Amino acid sequence: MAEFAALTEVEFRLLCEFLYRRTGMIFTEGKRYYVERRVVERMTATGSSSFAQYFARLRADEPGEFEQFVNAFTVNETYFYREDHQLRCLTKDMLPQRIRERDPSGPLRIWSVPCSTGEEPYSIALWLLENWPLVDNYEIEIVGSDIDTGALEAARAGEFGKRALMRLAPDVVDRYFVQVDDQHWQIIDDLRESIRFGAVNLVEQRETRPYGRFDVIFCRNVLIYFDDASRRIAAENLYENLLPGGFICLGHAESMSRISPLFEVARYDDAIVYRRPDDSRRGNGG
Amino acid sequence: MVAENKTILVVDDAGLVRLYYRSILEKAGYRVDEALNGLEALERLATQPADLLIVDVNMPQMDGFTFLRTLRRQGPPSGGIPALVTSTEAQQQDFAAARKAGANYYLVKPVDESTLLEHVALLTGRKP
Amino acid sequence: MPLIRKSGKDTPPKTESAQPSDILRALVNGDADARWSAARSAGDLPGGVEALANALPAERDARVREAMLTSLARIASPQCVNAIVPLLRLDDASVRTAALDALRAMPDAVRAQLPALLRDGDSDVRILSCEIARTLPRADATALLGDVLASEPEANVCAAAIEVLAEVGGPEALPALDRCAARFADSAFLKFAIDIARGRIQAQSTESHG
Repeated sequence: MAEFAALTEVEFRLLCEFLYRRTGMIFTEGKRYYVERRVVERMTATGSSSFAQYFARLRADEPGEFEQFVNAFTVNETYFYREDHQLRCLTKDMLPQRIRERDPSGPLRIWSVPCSTGEEPYSIALWLLENWPLVDNYEIEIVGSDIDTGALEAARAGEFGKRALMRLAPDVVDRYFVQVDDQHWQIIDDLRESIRFGAVNLVEQRETRPYGRFDVIFCRNVLIYFDDASRRIAAENLYENLLPGGFICLGHAESMSRISPLFEVARYDDAIVYRRPDDSRRGNGG
Repeated sequence: MVAENKTILVVDDAGLVRLYYRSILEKAGYRVDEALNGLEALERLATQPADLLIVDVNMPQMDGFTFLRTLRRQGPPSGGIPALVTSTEAQQQDFAAARKAGANYYLVKPVDESTLLEHVALLTGRKP
Repeated sequence: MPLIRKSGKDTPPKTESAQPSDILRALVNGDADARWSAARSAGDLPGGVEALANALPAERDARVREAMLTSLARIASPQCVNAIVPLLRLDDASVRTAALDALRAMPDAVRAQLPALLRDGDSDVRILSCEIARTLPRADATALLGDVLASEPEANVCAAAIEVLAEVGGPEALPALDRCAARFADSAFLKFAIDIARGRIQAQSTESHG
């Protein structure tokens, strides 16, 4: 087995500065091991004979190498209740804030985009049903969208393996899933039928606009991979799809500071999220 | 002399500038945080207060003046953090613009070590 | 079940059916929200780029300006570049950096103008242009920024070039770095920056150890 030397101090700093600039991620000495490990994995995968050669590939994004490298840090494995701190923030802070501020008519609308194979929108639904005391007081509309129509089909089918359910308590699984075979569970019909799944390309305004405006958007681990031009367009589209004062949540390794100045930071105990400013509430000097 | 640990947030999109200030300030006993633009600085300050800001003007996504104006509008405590603005511009109008945006001092880049330490000490209330 | 699903697609917002002439008019005459919407769709209309280029210098709302720049950056024609470059010269820092962000999003389109921008009479334009060079392939960036270091009189412009070379630079830049260090021997910051840049460039040279 080929052994690669660990990164030199200079190589590590060079790489960290590059990643920090592009993504906002900060890698301290404590995380060095994980960075080095990922570099070694990707050097092997790309057949790079030196860090220099690999870094050149990474910078040039040849092809899709940036995404390959970074997705080790964005935790792309989909399972239910992933990043539950954002779900806690949803019921503890975001929804109460929306209820205080918005026009009471019409449902609370939540968008999960990209929704992949459905774990995220179903998680949101489960979480609300299990953890929000006010859940029966409001109409709630959850929409899941993705560019991948195959993933959407799977999401509609709502079948999941054991691994996806690993963070759910047994009684939650019993309440909302039907066991299909010894490896698969399916979301109950009632719940499957109450979430709308549809295709969308975040960079195409004519595709995003018809979805209307939401109270909360979960847009995790996709903007980080867009190039500069696409990020700007997608951010504007997402802004347009938010009600004034509406919230948008990114992946934990992402920051709006690398994406767009359109949104304000909203800090809560459980999460840092972002908001479309609500200009009607602002005093003068906005 | 043991000095209390003051935290300085350095806001500049040039990594080498941040590194330079960090090396000077840490040697002088300060704690240093970094942000690459005004948006990140606002985000950092939402979770981690600072005793002083060193803010460059030309940064992507949100420039230094816009950042300061936004911060000052937030009110205490973060709205009142003293700020050293650094810029390449050396005209009278730039000093005035900085003050108007809420800067306490304005330094012309490149900032040398003694000037930096002197002004940082002044604004953090530490003896240099 | 409090979760509801609307049947069928949402009805699109009412602004859908605006005429091109209405959009171009709204670009200049509408309120901020109308101008923002117009800025987002103008790019695809006949005469849209020109309308955006004309409206851009006078636009005071940062959000609308961003939307105009995004549309221009998406189209990324030479006309778009020409519309944005003049903003680099303005006094307002927020406008300058907005213009820089837009130009950075269209590296291929701006490349042709970079050599001239790096020799511009305005040092701020030269500083911002060094940052644009970061988007170029290594050989091109190294050549352009090496030229800057060879003859640039302003320390801050050299600093900007060194900053980018530290990430992008090939070993061909090392002699220019050395000469720059000699020219600015009295600048502690430049010495510091050049030392680091040298180390990072060497780390990227494929002759160094793997």
